[in-house]
Amino acid sequence: MVKEEVLAKITQYVFEGDPELVAEWTDKAIAAGLEPLAIINEGMTKGIEMVGEHFAAGDYYLPDLILGAKAMDAGIQKLEPLLAGINREFIGRVLIGTVAGDLHEIGKNIVIMMLKTSGFEVFDLGIDVPSRQFIDKAKEYKVDIIGISALLTTTVSRQKEIIDLLAAEGMRDKVKVIIGGAPINQAWADKIGADAYAPDASAAATIARRIVGAGA
Amino acid sequence: MGFDYLSSEQVQKIHEASLEILKKIGIGNRSKRMRDLLLDNGCKEKGDRILFTQDVIDKGLKTVPKSFQLYGRRDNYTLDIGAKKSYCQTVVGCPSVMDLETNRRRDCLVQDLADMTRLADALDYIHIVSPLFPRDVPQEIILTMETAILLKSTSKPLSICVESPAELKYIIELLAAVAGGRVALRQKPLATMPISTISPLEFGLHPADALIDIVEAGIPLGVEPAPQAGATAPISMAGLVAMHNAEMLAGAVAAQLVRPGAPLTLSSRAGFMDMRSGQGLWGMPEFGLAAAAMNQMGNFYQMPVAPGAFSGESKTADAQSAMEHMHNALAPALAGSDILGSAGSVDSVQAACYKMLVLDNEISSVIQKSIKSPLVDEDSLAVDAIAEIIEQKGDFLGHKHTRKYMRSGALWTPSLIARQTYEQWEAHGKALEEIAAERAKELLATHAVLPLADGLEKEFDAIIAAAKRELMPSDAE
Repeated sequence: MVKEEVLAKITQYVFEGDPELVAEWTDKAIAAGLEPLAIINEGMTKGIEMVGEHFAAGDYYLPDLILGAKAMDAGIQKLEPLLAGINREFIGRVLIGTVAGDLHEIGKNIVIMMLKTSGFEVFDLGIDVPSRQFIDKAKEYKVDIIGISALLTTTVSRQKEIIDLLAAEGMRDKVKVIIGGAPINQAWADKIGADAYAPDASAAATIARRIVGAGA
Repeated sequence: MGFDYLSSEQVQKIHEASLEILKKIGIGNRSKRMRDLLLDNGCKEKGDRILFTQDVIDKGLKTVPKSFQLYGRRDNYTLDIGAKKSYCQTVVGCPSVMDLETNRRRDCLVQDLADMTRLADALDYIHIVSPLFPRDVPQEIILTMETAILLKSTSKPLSICVESPAELKYIIELLAAVAGGRVALRQKPLATMPISTISPLEFGLHPADALIDIVEAGIPLGVEPAPQAGATAPISMAGLVAMHNAEMLAGAVAAQLVRPGAPLTLSSRAGFMDMRSGQGLWGMPEFGLAAAAMNQMGNFYQMPVAPGAFSGESKTADAQSAMEHMHNALAPALAGSDILGSAGSVDSVQAACYKMLVLDNEISSVIQKSIKSPLVDEDSLAVDAIAEIIEQKGDFLGHKHTRKYMRSGALWTPSLIARQTYEQWEAHGKALEEIAAERAKELLATHAVLPLADGLEKEFDAIIAAAKRELMPSDAE
């Protein structure tokens, strides 16, 4: 099979959100001697861009978006052993997590998918994350943006704690902070000194792109 | 009037699926106390999850009371929870409110909590009051402050959602002060206390510990997870109800293991995710249908049910919210409900709204009429009256039968809905939400709440001061 056909299959199965088939065809692409970066850029990325276009046009929904990203991840995993020493290109780095005392994660996970499909490298700290850990990991991964999620009215004050810690560490001007969660609003973001409030996942990705100068 | 959204065969199938979920998938948990309780009673541990056995489930389900009474601090205000009376309860936990003057959303303040509570006190078809979450109080003692304000601002029964056990001691002290001691509070509880475990199938730490403490204190518990179909629960109605039912049964069983016979409600809150924006919706019609289905499950177990109900997507009181709240409340009411929650909410319970509370009071009044079957006996069948009127070539208007039944409530009497001639409407007609706003303002200007007994305010102050000392030590002088 010619290389173009293999890449077209990968694009198609990322677009259709089928992790098993993307993994299978990535193996075939490797066996056919395709370069890992070519498989990503000419196969998978094309597919995920189509997913994004269809989502924006209104005929793809969140599950399509998430399955598209999962399909791409399945292919990337196959390529990982070959990617050592090769730098993938990202438009920026984002650290994200749900604050201490809060176990709610679905909103955060949607934001992660949106960011990944927008071209960001995302580090997910998970749920119930101690405030200190946001700071330590932000340093370690040298991120551009920190995303802080909180759903409970009793845990939203952790967002302020993290921002205060950033300031105390002298890092406040080095990273931008985006906050989100059901009880959050712009007034709260202003009050605690967050750089932005994202009312939904699309907005989070749009704001993140603007922050790194990638346009909306 | 009744509504079977599920057939009895479907109820049985869902019940079996829920048990399979509890036995095979089990529940996540981060509380050592809860873990000990469940394992000591025969549950099994598998990795980080706790699996229920048929024996534990049977033991737990057997002792849940079919009914209990809930009391207001005013005389004779007693609610029969378990009698399927569809009592209306206000929304809990909104950090924002729609301003009554500007109709714009802003932060909820202590004054809003007091006003919204007093408005609920004034409205006849609001039966139970839950707190808003004001932002201008120290968050460490927010529930203590809320409980004190609720008790001052209404004499109706309360429902206080507890996110963690930290403040429970002080909440109970406040309630006991009003009830006349802890024993009196147990005998005549002034509040239910719902806890919101995490979907899917996770007790967490704080909700699990709060569950145990509430049951030990003898306060009626609400088991209130809030799954989102399509995100934290299956999107198919059958799967959603099976999983939601399983997580509520897990809570109910745990409560019975703490104290057999502990009163509780299954308080379903099954929303769904907007598949484009990712927003959590408590919208029409799925929210009301899931609540109806969950009520059928609870009624199958003969346990009191208290679903979220008066909810919708509209951002304010308008035609959309009226339509949404009516559907989402009437569907579970007709399926048999003890309490219908979320009154006075807008935007999928993200904000509270004075006007909406007045509209929900009207909807609640219609529901009270609609859930009751009509009287059918010889007199109400009116054969004799019909014969008499036809023979005399008279009309029903001038017959005693009409007067008698009119006086006993044959016709629903609106308090907001306009019934006027076209000419009157053309001259003076107003939008329903405008009438609701005027009613809210009028009631807030005139309604006086039954005052607290002498000396109670001082006791409240002492309890709040003690809560501050323990929970806000850095603020101590």
